[in-house]
Amino acid sequence: MTGVISGGGQWAFVAAAYGLTAVLTGIVLWSSWRAMVKAEKRSDALRANNRRGETPRGDPK
Amino acid sequence: MHAYANPTRFLAIAKPLTPWLLGVGLLLLLAGSWAGLAVVPGDYKQGETARILYVHVPSAWLGMGGWTSLAIAGLIQLVWRHPLSGIAARAIAVPGMLFTALCLATGSIWGRPTWGTWWEWDGRMTSMLVLLFLYAGFIALTNGDEGQKQGGSLSRGAAIYALVGAINIPIINRSVVWWNSLHQGPSITLRGSSIDGALLWPLGLTVSGFSLLFGAIVLMRMRRIIADNRVAARLRRLADDEGN
Repeated sequence: MTGVISGGGQWAFVAAAYGLTAVLTGIVLWSSWRAMVKAEKRSDALRANNRRGETPRGDPK
Repeated sequence: MHAYANPTRFLAIAKPLTPWLLGVGLLLLLAGSWAGLAVVPGDYKQGETARILYVHVPSAWLGMGGWTSLAIAGLIQLVWRHPLSGIAARAIAVPGMLFTALCLATGSIWGRPTWGTWWEWDGRMTSMLVLLFLYAGFIALTNGDEGQKQGGSLSRGAAIYALVGAINIPIINRSVVWWNSLHQGPSITLRGSSIDGALLWPLGLTVSGFSLLFGAIVLMRMRRIIADNRVAARLRRLADDEGN
């Protein structure tokens, strides 16, 4: 078939598929983790301030 | 089900579960990828490119499974107004879109050396591309809408959109049976698999690993939305107190 690649040349395609999967999954995992940790820290800090009766300053975001 | 409608009760389960899903998912994924790349032999017909199936197939299943879960969450939101269902639907959209995009990209990378082309407008690939657009539409529809400002619930329109979009799932599944396609027919069905056992076992590892990672990402995103809601609620309360 025209354009079909066989033998050792196929490894570059395998590496590209696995590399792309690792990079994109890693980005989504990392950004979800960071956003969660940041949001929960903000929420905990605000709750602690409320308990102490302090008023939060500025935009907590 | 309503017992877990309370975010505090949900968080009591989600917080300890998240690192477990993440850790076990990563381990299974690494083991499956190593087995797929280094342990099993290449396919006698497709050669080394058959190894791409260990990332392509889980991506396809999770892209489709993600939208199915999103539609179920939309239905629960419409019928029972379960407070967490809207949050779950919002949390599923991004990982669902990620795996749909990965399915299309890895399929395309597989197609070039195997079929001699990056893309073919056949039933399977086109319906999968439609799924990617559906995810993008859902994210655009729910980003910054009224529901997001009111605790993360879905608007009626977004919930209906999720349900209507689910029509595409059986179309993707049956596309290789209904239409002539370059894409191979179903290899794994409820009746068994046409893939030899020697090549099949790493797929079990990568499917389990990716599924656990998907679960971990959804839980992280749900926890983020709940934390943001709590911050917004506290700030509203403080503003009200200061106003009085």
